[in-house]
Order: sequence, then C-alpha cells, then structure tokens
Amino acid sequence: MFNLFKIEWLKIKTYRTFWILFAGFLIFFPAGFYLMAYKYMERMSNAKSMEENLLKALLDAPFVFPKVWHAAAWTGGMFFVLMGMLFILLITNEVQYRTHRQNIIDGWSRMDFLKAKLSIMVFFVLVSTVLVFIMGLIVGSQFSPAGASMFDGVHFVGYFALMATVYLMLAFLVGILIKRTGLSIIIYFAIVCIVDNVLWLVFTLRDSQLGYYMPLEAVDSLVTNPFKPKIMERRTVADYTLIIAAGIYISAYVYIIINYFRKTDLKT
Amino acid sequence: MAILSINNLTKNYRSIRALDNVSFEVPPKTVFGILGPNGSGKTTLLGIVMDILKPTNGSFKWAGEQSSDELRKQIGTLLETPNFYHYLSGEDNLRIAARIKGKGEDDIPKVLKTVNLYERRKSKFNSYSLGMKQRLAIASTLLGDPGILVFDEPTNGLDPAGIAEIRELIKELNRQGKTIIMASHILDEVEKVCTHVAIIQKGVLKTVGSVHEIMHTSGTQNVTSLLIELGAADNGLLKNILQGMSGLESVAETDNGIEIICPENITPEQVNSYCFEKGVVLNKLNVKRKSLETRFLEITGKQSDR
Repeated sequence: MFNLFKIEWLKIKTYRTFWILFAGFLIFFPAGFYLMAYKYMERMSNAKSMEENLLKALLDAPFVFPKVWHAAAWTGGMFFVLMGMLFILLITNEVQYRTHRQNIIDGWSRMDFLKAKLSIMVFFVLVSTVLVFIMGLIVGSQFSPAGASMFDGVHFVGYFALMATVYLMLAFLVGILIKRTGLSIIIYFAIVCIVDNVLWLVFTLRDSQLGYYMPLEAVDSLVTNPFKPKIMERRTVADYTLIIAAGIYISAYVYIIINYFRKTDLKT
Repeated sequence: MAILSINNLTKNYRSIRALDNVSFEVPPKTVFGILGPNGSGKTTLLGIVMDILKPTNGSFKWAGEQSSDELRKQIGTLLETPNFYHYLSGEDNLRIAARIKGKGEDDIPKVLKTVNLYERRKSKFNSYSLGMKQRLAIASTLLGDPGILVFDEPTNGLDPAGIAEIRELIKELNRQGKTIIMASHILDEVEKVCTHVAIIQKGVLKTVGSVHEIMHTSGTQNVTSLLIELGAADNGLLKNILQGMSGLESVAETDNGIEIICPENITPEQVNSYCFEKGVVLNKLNVKRKSLETRFLEITGKQSDR
C-alpha cells in the first residue's frame, strides 16, 4: 500500500487547495488549543476564590495532566472537520475530472484505487493523532503543577484516532456515493451536525441509551466536551461498547464502499 | 491467437440497449477500426473492455486471458476525452500514469517529443488547448512501449497537420508490430490507416472483416465496384440517359454532378462512348474506387443515431 500512497502523494503534493486545508488544520488546531489553554489558565489563576477551591479546580482543569489528553482529543475533533472536507474533496475531484477512470485504464484495479485513497486516510489519521498527542504533551507540561500524573488518561488520544477514522470513513462513503463535490460536502455536514444529533436526541428523550450507538455519536461520546460538568452526562453504557459499535460502523462503511465501487460504471 | 476477443457483449442503460450481443475478434498486428455513427456504442464497447463500464451480459478476453489489471498496464489507451489532473503539468501527469503502469517513466521526454508537446511539458494541463490535451493523451498511451494501443477518436480536436501526424504515427506503430484498435467515425482516416474494420450501428455489429473485403463486397456479391463521377452541361439529361444504360448498380444526382456505381468490368471508355452516342458530351469524368464511406453509408443508412 505504500507504493499506492506514493502515487497519491504525487497527485496532491502540488495541489494548492490540499495544502491550504491541511496546513489550516496543522496550524489552527495547535494554535487554537494553546490559546484556549492560556486564556483558561490565566483566568483560573486570577480567580478570587478560596485557595482550596482553586486547587481543586486547577487539578481538574482541562488543560493540565491528566485531563489535558481528553481536552486535546476533543479540540482536535472540533478542528478535524477540515480534514473530513479535504478528504471528500480529494475523492470527488477524481470523479468530477474523471481521473479515476484514467487510473483504472492505466492499470489500477478498482481495489487499488480504493486502497490508494485508504492510504491517504491512514496518513491523515496518523498525522492528526500525533499532533493531538504532541499538543497534549506541550500544553500539559506547560500548565500542570509538578507531580501530576502525566500519562493517565492518554487513552483519549487513542479515542481520537478512532473518532478520526470514523469521520473520514464516512467522508469516504459520502464522496464515493454522491460524487459531486458541493453536494457531498453539504450532505456530510448535514449528517455530522444535524442528523446524528437529532437521532441522539430522539433516543435520549425516550430515556433510551440507544442514542449513544448512532454512527457518529458513538465516537463523539467517547470524547465528550471536557468543559461540560460531569453531572450533565447521561450516558451509562460502557466505553468498550461504543468502541465495538464504532468498529461495526467502520466495517459497514468499508463493505458498502467496496461493493459499490467494484460494480459501478465509472462515469461522472 | 486473437489480441482481443469479444463474446456476446451486451450493455443496457435502463431502457436503452447500447450494445446488443456483439462478438468479434481482433487479429494481432492489425490496425483494427471500430466504425459507427454517433451513439452506436463504440465508446461503450471500449469502456467495457477497459473495465470502466460493467457489461450487462457477455464477456471478453485480452490475449486469451480473462481481463486483468496487469494486462491493462501493457495496453496504451485513450478513451473518449483526455482525463488528467488540471492543476498538474503535462509532465507530472505522465509521471503519475507511468507510476501506475509500473514502467515508462524514462519514456516521458521521448513521448512528449513524439507528439510535439515537449516545449509545453511544464505548463499546467488546464492551460493546454484542446489539441494539446489530445496530444498529451496520445503521449500517455505510448508510455512503456506497449504492444497494444486502443484509441477512441484519436484525431478529435487536432488540426490537419496534427491529424496527418497521428496517421503517420499509427502506421509507424503498426510497422513496429503493434496491434492498434481505433474507434472512429472519420471514415477517410480509417480507410487510409486501418487494415480491418468492424461496423457497429445502434449497438449491433453490422459487419466485420478486412477493409479490402468490406470495400469490395456489395451486399452478398463479391464484386469489385467502381464509383464514377460524371458531369455534363445538362445533368438532368445525363441522368436520364445513364438510367437507361445496362449493367450499372446505381445512378444518383449529387452536388458534384452524377455519381454512378458499376462493376469493374464496365470501363470508363464504355461509359464515355455510351453518353456520346446518346448525344451528351461529358465535361467531367472522374473514376474513384468505391470508398469506405459509400460502403459505410450503404451498411448503416444515411442518418446519424440519436
């Protein structure tokens, strides 16, 4: 698959739009996260509350160890939608310009084409996960008091990787099926921002835990908003069940993508 | 062994039958033309054998093997329109094609020079004219020196000089022993370049064989026909007297005068003296071999397919 990745890299390394969106993520996520941390910690240290309360709040602050991993993962997730959009663009471009046909004519199999796109997806997940880890390390080291347990809670970085994978797999599916750039992005955003949340709401209002098993909600619930107090958390199902659900969704997306792409006529 | 053998290939698009049970074989080292009016199914057929489209029914084999992707790496193909990455240069686009094929990266300067694009190799593809895009597509087919070439309307968008260059290129490639499959509706080009031809209309194969066979067959007769153009001061009178001449296959009035089709045993001298005896003096007498165009229009009728 690395050979396929090298060819894909040839396709995008001089593509300006790719660099704008990719660099956007690489710059704005770390900058945004660090700035958030700085402002938050500044306000905390200026607070006029009792010393004990302050200490307690500080120890539980999202930007110190061990909770910083959670915050980094969640913030990364917020910015990650840029990567989802970028991935859709890379796929729909190939269809719009019919270069996917040319790749097949030149000798790739349908699976080769899918694997090549998968290699880009893996690259995106790896780079963003490493970035999340680095930011967690930097911000945590900067703002944590001495003696804080550094790697407790680092599993949130793993949760981020899973979340990134699910989001990009969905982008893959939408891009391959819808084929038109504009429409794909709109539908992707509609699913991410609206559909998924509505489904969660419908189930949760009926006092059911099923809402947490919805396609995106499963991974979103693994990495919740760290600024929301724990009391408001309504989920009772265990983490590992969500991980299994995410795994099932990824498999389903892969199955649909492969089956569709193998049998379809390659037209715009 | 046939380079390509097609077996009962059928393709439906909802209610439209684009290909209907088409079968034929492409012999090796030929220049095999696939002719048909617009909409006849030529591009659909090529799309299927290049695995871009999936057939509804039927099968095909390249060199005896069920189509595999490894085989496509040995075939240089130009299908429909040139499909390249708009933001990449001509050279970079060829590099990607060569990498996918797994060979031919060293050929890039050479193929660019062959199609006269070497000077513009670093310009972005979206800055190319239509003719340049077409030439880049042709250059791409030559990467890795493939033994088989498939061209779908290769002269599309080219100026007369370009068309002549491509004609020479195809002939040269065939001289080198390559098999070339060419879809076209420009009969003049096909006649000049192809050794064999398959004629398709509305998805149905009308006839297949060597160009020589097809041009010299009139219906079921194996007779060589001549086409003669005539003109006189009064073309109406000329037409009337010609209709009275025995042995002619057809007499028709055209923009150029009168066209008659007759078997080879009737000589122009005979026609000339017959007209003179009947009191008509010719001011034009032009003997043409019956052209592929005439045969083609006979076989497919005079209307373009929708």
